[in-house]
Amino acid sequence: MYVLWRIVVKEFLQLRQDHRMIPIVFVAPVMQLVLFGFAVNTDVTRIPTVLVDQDRSAASRALLDRFTRSGYFELAGVEDTVSGIDGWLVSGDAQVALVIGAGYGRGLSGDGTPRVQIIADGSDSSPATVALGYGRGIVAAASREAMAERLREWVRRAAEEGRALVPPGQIELVPRVWYNPDLKSRWFYVPAVLAMILMIMTLLLSAMGVVREKEIGTMEQIIVSPIRSWQLIVGKLFPFALIGLVQVFLVTALTVFGFGVPLRGSFALLVALTQLFVLNTLGLGLLVSTLVRTQQQAMMIAAFTLMLPMVYLSGLIFPIENMPRAIQYVTYAIPLRYYATIIRGIFLRGSGLDVLWPQALALALMGTAILALAALRFRKRLD
Amino acid sequence: MTKLRAVAVKELRQIRRDPLSLLMLLGLPAFMLVLYGFALNFDVRHVDLAVQDHDHTARSRELVAAFVRSTYFDLAATPAPGADLEDLTARGIARAVLVIPGGYGEELARGRPAEVQLLLDGADANTATTVLGYAGAVVAEANAEALRRTLMRAGGGEAVTGISYRPLVWYNPELSSTRFLVPGLMGVLLMLTAVLATALSIVREKERGTIEQLRVAPLRTVELILGKTLPYLAVSFLAAAIILLAARALFGVEVRGSYLALLAATLLYLLGALGLGILISTLADSQSVAFQGGLLVSLLPAVLLSGFIFQIRAMPAFLQLVTYAVPARYYLVILRGVIIKGSGLGPYPEEVAGLALFAVATLGLATLRLVREEA
Amino acid sequence: MALAVEIRDLGKRFGAFRAVDGISFDVAEGEIFGFLGANGAGKSTTIRMLCGLLRPTSGSARVLGIDVAKEPEEVKRRIGYMSQRFSLYEDLSVRQNLRFFGGVYGLRGAALAAREAWAVEMSGLAGKEDLLTGSLPGGWKQRLALACAVLHQPRIVFLDEPTSGVDPLSRRRFWRLIDAMSAEGVTVFVTTHYLEEAEHCHRLALIHAGRLSALGTVAGVKAVFRDHAVLEVAAPRIVEALETLARQPFVRDVSAFGTRLHVVVDDAAAGVSRVVAVLEAAGNGPATAERIVPSLEDVFIHHVQHEESRRREPAAGP
Repeated sequence: MYVLWRIVVKEFLQLRQDHRMIPIVFVAPVMQLVLFGFAVNTDVTRIPTVLVDQDRSAASRALLDRFTRSGYFELAGVEDTVSGIDGWLVSGDAQVALVIGAGYGRGLSGDGTPRVQIIADGSDSSPATVALGYGRGIVAAASREAMAERLREWVRRAAEEGRALVPPGQIELVPRVWYNPDLKSRWFYVPAVLAMILMIMTLLLSAMGVVREKEIGTMEQIIVSPIRSWQLIVGKLFPFALIGLVQVFLVTALTVFGFGVPLRGSFALLVALTQLFVLNTLGLGLLVSTLVRTQQQAMMIAAFTLMLPMVYLSGLIFPIENMPRAIQYVTYAIPLRYYATIIRGIFLRGSGLDVLWPQALALALMGTAILALAALRFRKRLD
Repeated sequence: MTKLRAVAVKELRQIRRDPLSLLMLLGLPAFMLVLYGFALNFDVRHVDLAVQDHDHTARSRELVAAFVRSTYFDLAATPAPGADLEDLTARGIARAVLVIPGGYGEELARGRPAEVQLLLDGADANTATTVLGYAGAVVAEANAEALRRTLMRAGGGEAVTGISYRPLVWYNPELSSTRFLVPGLMGVLLMLTAVLATALSIVREKERGTIEQLRVAPLRTVELILGKTLPYLAVSFLAAAIILLAARALFGVEVRGSYLALLAATLLYLLGALGLGILISTLADSQSVAFQGGLLVSLLPAVLLSGFIFQIRAMPAFLQLVTYAVPARYYLVILRGVIIKGSGLGPYPEEVAGLALFAVATLGLATLRLVREEA
Repeated sequence: MALAVEIRDLGKRFGAFRAVDGISFDVAEGEIFGFLGANGAGKSTTIRMLCGLLRPTSGSARVLGIDVAKEPEEVKRRIGYMSQRFSLYEDLSVRQNLRFFGGVYGLRGAALAAREAWAVEMSGLAGKEDLLTGSLPGGWKQRLALACAVLHQPRIVFLDEPTSGVDPLSRRRFWRLIDAMSAEGVTVFVTTHYLEEAEHCHRLALIHAGRLSALGTVAGVKAVFRDHAVLEVAAPRIVEALETLARQPFVRDVSAFGTRLHVVVDDAAAGVSRVVAVLEAAGNGPATAERIVPSLEDVFIHHVQHEESRRREPAAGP
């Protein structure tokens, strides 16, 4: 135990000496929180729209009004012909074009078919899809209202003529949204920062910490001492785990008090399950350090072959359900996937261990396996 | 010129000696393209829907059919009355639950409004919003259809039509996300590799002390910077070519516009990125600081603040201002134009100016810093 | 006398490359044993095998009676090691380094405090305990590294080129420390390529291209020149003179030492006159030659050239 203690003390003394650790520990989380809190927002609003109104009637103006009032569309300009749209879409000044066909107004009152077309710039496919969906809803509502209007007229006339015409009942959709009733995307992304920060701090720093000693030659001096491998590993990794713990407090405080994201579950459970996750990242860091010779290689491997794919395949940003089946299976091998579920479960849904135990179990098993593999590779030899 | 070539040749040799880094520089783009191409997808389609039908009438079945017919929803489960609906979504069996109350059909037949409930897990707010929008459209269309049929009956078989809605997508009609990804990925990956490679290359010389040797040599700062930059410019161009080739081979995405415009824009963009890399290396003293700084200023803005995935319009005003300093923002607009829309540089004078300004600014600042360090 | 190190046919291969190619020798307890060789000759590989850092691919080695291949951890417990670069934490202070390395070897409490005080005293760092190690001059770092390596009072200490990159004054001071340790009965196994340092050693081994080319006391190793004489030769055009003499059958070895040549011949008196005659006949005069006492460097070069020529012509024999 005493030997272990000496290593831990040494690591902390070195951390204190390393002035760039302060910004990494404190500035990086804040910066990521701001970016994820404000920039990461997939809500599609105020889509710049160019209008081609071939009808020029009160009805077509009313439809345009429906589009802009929805908040999803914003009038960016007006063109006389469909051929004029191209310039707007190519330059990006407009993302969709709303084309109201000639005879739209007459069509609404029963004289012919009213035609509306929405042309979207498909180069940014995701907002285009959403815009087409919104447009569809708005047009359907307009269509419904126009027919309801006509029907009311008919019902009135039928009543005058003594006939009974019963208008069909209308369906009312009553949405009930659990956990995040205002549908703030910030609530989804901000807790994710906790996972990112933890991963960077524990995985990258532990990989680099070991490789740095290899590079400056002190590792050789330690390996030649009678210290046991596990003492060396635990001693070197423990400080990073502790930093990770500090990060949990820092990021949680900022998330809850700075961004107003509720922490509905137990903080103690969050801390406990975070330790299981950190077991995985520290193990991966150690594993990387046994594979490389220089800090640069450690950084490259850790960042590009581990951290980036883990972020993308974890469901932290991109929903796993949208991935092809084969890739979905791959995500089961990613510890971050389980931690992402845990974080969102505890923060937003207030889940307890009764719901999250499969994830916790997966993290514990994977963490132990990775750490064991890393420790096995980490022998006290140079060759 | 000889000196410049000496620096450049030395740099190229060192790049070649370090196969791991070279593999990262060249292999990473293709790897990321595949990863993104398959994994990165915000499109919400085929939402798993659970339906709890308390009504069991022709009308209620009609509504369910309308949901499924829209192709937005797939019927995933039909929980019995009394089932734990929250658990259904928590366990991921369904993304949303449609609850049709008893007496639904009857209310409608009497001409009275009937409520149906859509229960949603809002934790993933983006998906939930989209799902709500889809459901709203389906219900609005069902309502319109009901009205239309009543009108037709009352009108004695006279054809009644609602508004015909014809969506049309230009440039990328099948809304393929890989086609959309290629420009964004080029922006991200070129920035990443160019900034990191140059930042590390100078700091490495600092760490090893070889920079002193270069300083002592009768090299002008410009020669040193160009000598350091040109090899990485070449490697980055190679990376760009690999992305384009991979996109074509794997996903069938072709460049529709002019290659010359693509080359010019890429050159401007890379110059700015390389300048940024050198600037970082003049500020950092160790490789690990350079690496982390490089990641922070290259990867995060290029992914988050460029308009690649997240719409700049939707950001708060102060962040929108910040995006003007992100070159990927301009590059992305140009690339989408050239690769997907088949245009040249013509429609994008502001974007080209933005890229040029960024390149001049970073290279200028880097030169200033290096000159000062020498003094 | 008990043996501190026993090496039998020890070998280490890295792929096809034989870094150490079957060497055998013993080191007695309390000896200062010098292990000499050029860079890449196999010195560090050997010392790393003896410390349990590398696993031998052939042969065996025992340190203090323990097999390094079978029980490397037992070996590590009993030895001190100072690697080529003084591997201290430059971002820790002198005291923090001492505490850390003491702790790694299990020293604690009063014992640690006593050894710490001893180490500070020995390395002459009194009053500088709280300075960052990185800010110390090279000679001080090196003494501190030695102190760290022997904090736990090992009976044998391995020093891998301990004095490279250190000024001559510090080097001399360092060797006084080594002499003092040896006087206390500690075995010192030291590699170096500074030949004047080798004169401090009780016994020497010369390694070249992974093989042992000479072994014995300093005087003994030099005794290869018992039947030969070394002449120091001066001539106006030294490179030309080297080429001229190398072609003479009576010349056994010739090598450049600064502006002079060292020439090995069988007979001193005849050699002097023949060398001068040959050079002046070649128009490279006036030339001088005189007999000198061979230095270790002469011995070293002689052995290396001998070894090289033997390898080039294996049929010719030694």
